[in-house]
Amino acid sequence: MIDCREAVRRMWSYLDHELAAKPVSEFEAHLETCQRCCGELEFNRHLREIVADDERAPAIPPDLRSRIEILLAGGDDPTGQPT
Amino acid sequence: MAIVVETKATRSAGLTPLPLEQPERPSFADLARIYLDRLYGFCVRLTNHPSDAEDLVQETLLRAMRAYDGLREPTRAKGWLFAIATNAWRDLSRARGREIRTVPIDGPDGNVDEFSLFQTIAIEDPFPYSDELHLDFLRLFRDEDVAAVFGSITPAFRLPLILTVIHGFSCKEAAAMLEVPLGTLLSRLHRGRKQLERGLWDYAVANGLVTTTDEERP
Repeated sequence: MIDCREAVRRMWSYLDHELAAKPVSEFEAHLETCQRCCGELEFNRHLREIVADDERAPAIPPDLRSRIEILLAGGDDPTGQPT
Repeated sequence: MAIVVETKATRSAGLTPLPLEQPERPSFADLARIYLDRLYGFCVRLTNHPSDAEDLVQETLLRAMRAYDGLREPTRAKGWLFAIATNAWRDLSRARGREIRTVPIDGPDGNVDEFSLFQTIAIEDPFPYSDELHLDFLRLFRDEDVAAVFGSITPAFRLPLILTVIHGFSCKEAAAMLEVPLGTLLSRLHRGRKQLERGLWDYAVANGLVTTTDEERP
């Protein structure tokens, strides 16, 4: 059985699905007996979500998109450099 | 469309044969259009500046266009583009006299590595009457607050977070893209998370979002 310190150490890897099967089962077994670590896992899950939220990504500016379309169509290099 | 294989019969019928079906390789332009929005988002988070991000997107596409013939698996184009962008950003930063690395990235980083946001919130208890103390803390942050804190993370530690947490690459894939051993990637990822935790707390205190025990409560 792992302790809280080890459970906290594994927490982000668990959320990232980066733990192997055995560490996952040890971690989940710990959660069944530890309300504090359940709370910390939930908190880290929300923290991860607010960072990962793709909606926060700024939209590409229309003029940049236009310049890139010219580049992709085989036009001039938008940076002014010879291609 | 039906595929016509050249035979005596088709020749005599005047049908033009098409080559037998092969996996179709998308044009570079089509591929770039598919990933353009994500590439721009990646570049904004990497550079932390919209105009730098614009330069970087363009430089990345120019480099990728030249190298496209060497891309064996177009299904891996996203990682390939992001790796090119990362290298291009290193080159652009160097050319402008700015190194991406701003602290000794594999050395100790003060007490940030030991910081726990969860514990700090529990100890400081900024919302004494809350049933959801920790989640209420996260609810304080608007999109621009999160972006400001995220942008303050040391770039070498921010990059693994961008690749894994935001863009969903595995740690192994991210390590390969950054050309570092997996252990190094994991260490930087850990330190990026710790800087994020510390940054959120410091930002909340500095902007008056929470009252700490050092300050007087009414």
